Amino acid sequence: MKMEEVSMSSLDNSKLESLAQDILSDLVEDACLGLCFEVHRAVKQGYFFLDDTDQESMRDFEIVDQPGVDVFGQVYNQWKNKECVCPNCSRSIAASRFAPHLEKCLGMGRNSSRIANRRIVTGNNTNNKSESDQEDNDDVNDNDWSYGAEKKGNANTNKAKKRKSDKNPNSPRRSKSFKHKSGGMMGPRRRMENQESPRMLMKDEAFPQ
Amino acid sequence: MVLCNRNVQACVVWRRYCYVKGLLPPQTSLRSLNMSKDSQMRAAINQKLIEMGERERLKELLRAKLVECGWKDQLKAHCKDVIREKGLEHVTVEDLVTEVTPKGRALVPDSVKKELLQRIRAFLAQHATL
Repeated sequence: MKMEEVSMSSLDNSKLESLAQDILSDLVEDACLGLCFEVHRAVKQGYFFLDDTDQESMRDFEIVDQPGVDVFGQVYNQWKNKECVCPNCSRSIAASRFAPHLEKCLGMGRNSSRIANRRIVTGNNTNNKSESDQEDNDDVNDNDWSYGAEKKGNANTNKAKKRKSDKNPNSPRRSKSFKHKSGGMMGPRRRMENQESPRMLMKDEAFPQ
Repeated sequence: MVLCNRNVQACVVWRRYCYVKGLLPPQTSLRSLNMSKDSQMRAAINQKLIEMGERERLKELLRAKLVECGWKDQLKAHCKDVIREKGLEHVTVEDLVTEVTPKGRALVPDSVKKELLQRIRAFLAQHATL
């Protein structure tokens, strides 16, 4: 329509701007009115003050803002300074370190068995060092049995344990095949008792010892 | 209302057209003509806003933003004060409106205003030059 076109083209920026402001204030007023109606209905229907608690309870459960205490008023680092006596080695240990210490002390954790194993291997090596010099060469070339642990000698009892010391003893990502081959060597209690018994590798039946 | 120079000619032409068509009373000044044209234009735009559903969308957007920024809670707390003052039984809608609306207008945060204005301007730019 010609009339429309003329009227539209007479717009300039200030008019547009004032128009936009008017539209905005209309919208804001709508929002305010909406809130008023909502509140008024809530008042007349009786549920406006329903979510308020009484003053006394508000005071009881108020947020605590003191140093050294959490928002509920409980002390949160009270176990830091306490110390416990280990029943095994009778040492005094800090409370937060107590559980790991007990695990290692009693030999019942996952890592403690590995650490003990490693100690056994290194212990045996230092013991038998003089003997194994001559045998070492044979063992180094013996690739059938040693699974990458050529450095450590002693074919007999420690052969099956050798490969464990090569890999990171504490890494959980051990290949399952090794675990099965060792045939229950991971049991910590068993190891403590059967340290010196020879271990047969269950996988290789083609190479009878 | 300031008359744009470049549009005076257009206004003159249109005024004559309206006279001829009997749409305007005689001796209508250009100034009042401009104003009525303006209000016509505004009405047209508002109608377009509503027809295209844009006004509803803007309203919802505004409402959501006001809730998000805590405006609604602030104003509700103010309402509680008003109600306690006037007495729970005797509060009327008019009371609430007269107390709450000015405060509500003032409390709208600038970021919300800016964003809404942006959207409105975009709409106007798109649809006011057709």
